[in-house]
Amino acid sequence: MSAHDHAEGQLPHEPEKATLEARNKILGFWIFLGAETVLFGTLFSAFLALRHNIGDGPTANELFQLPMVFAATMILLTSSLTSVFAVQALHHHNKKSMIGWLIVTIVLGLCFLGLEIYEFKEYVHEGHGFTTSAFSSSFYTLVGFHGAHVAFGVVWIGIVIGQIFKKGLTVVTAPKVYISAIYWHFIDVVWVFIFTVVYLMGKVAG
Amino acid sequence: MSSNHDHSASGEATKRHKVEGPQKHIVGFVMSLALTIIAFAAVSAGEINATFTYIILVSMAVIQVFIQMAFWMHMKDRGHLFPIIGILAGVFVVFTMVIMALYWVWW
Repeated sequence: MSAHDHAEGQLPHEPEKATLEARNKILGFWIFLGAETVLFGTLFSAFLALRHNIGDGPTANELFQLPMVFAATMILLTSSLTSVFAVQALHHHNKKSMIGWLIVTIVLGLCFLGLEIYEFKEYVHEGHGFTTSAFSSSFYTLVGFHGAHVAFGVVWIGIVIGQIFKKGLTVVTAPKVYISAIYWHFIDVVWVFIFTVVYLMGKVAG
Repeated sequence: MSSNHDHSASGEATKRHKVEGPQKHIVGFVMSLALTIIAFAAVSAGEINATFTYIILVSMAVIQVFIQMAFWMHMKDRGHLFPIIGILAGVFVVFTMVIMALYWVWW
């Protein structure tokens, strides 16, 4: 297999696409992202259909605090930028700076998760439990599913960093970095729709 | 793909091939930031009527997603026809479902 022929420092241009296997992995991942789009779309459509059915619980307008949502948005947006910097470092074959940017991405992801856990705790405190209303159930399912994706991404990128430490930057490990970065951007793209549809529209609807 | 694998130093590789700089990603970040702030400001202002605010919010989100997918997910680069088809297939199903859900509830 030619994949192991390249020693470090002799990586081809764009090492994440150097082998057919790598290109197939990237293509397969995009098809997976198409399916993820459908998954989140179903949750969004359920939320849109049920968001006014608040039962005895608080309304979206009473519940949501825009400064906190804005902070979470900034954290995730910045982490998307740092993961694209990691891919650029990969293109420059700069292993150290790539790992650095990946770690920054993970830390920002953890900050986002911490903020989300705090937020959910506050909501439950205010009488907005999972089973309070159709609105609360669809809210927690949609936003919680996104949070679970962030948590999965943090673990995934952590494992990829471990592999890079162990095996170095090769044409085998490079696509893993690239694909996890694409996944991370996708999470940020989904969040753009969450803060728009769930939080901002919730504030408008009153 | 890349034709010349014969370069020995990685530093040379970055010179011979055009490796993208961080500028356009920072431009993408600033644009995303601006679109996010517009969306939050439109809601915080509160004085604009609801329908118009919805239109602003949805357009800001759609523009931002296009920017992020094109720049950060490299979709504008060559050889991304199948990724685009994959995502468009997903978006088609999503549109169908969202319209169904709204139609089912509102009419």
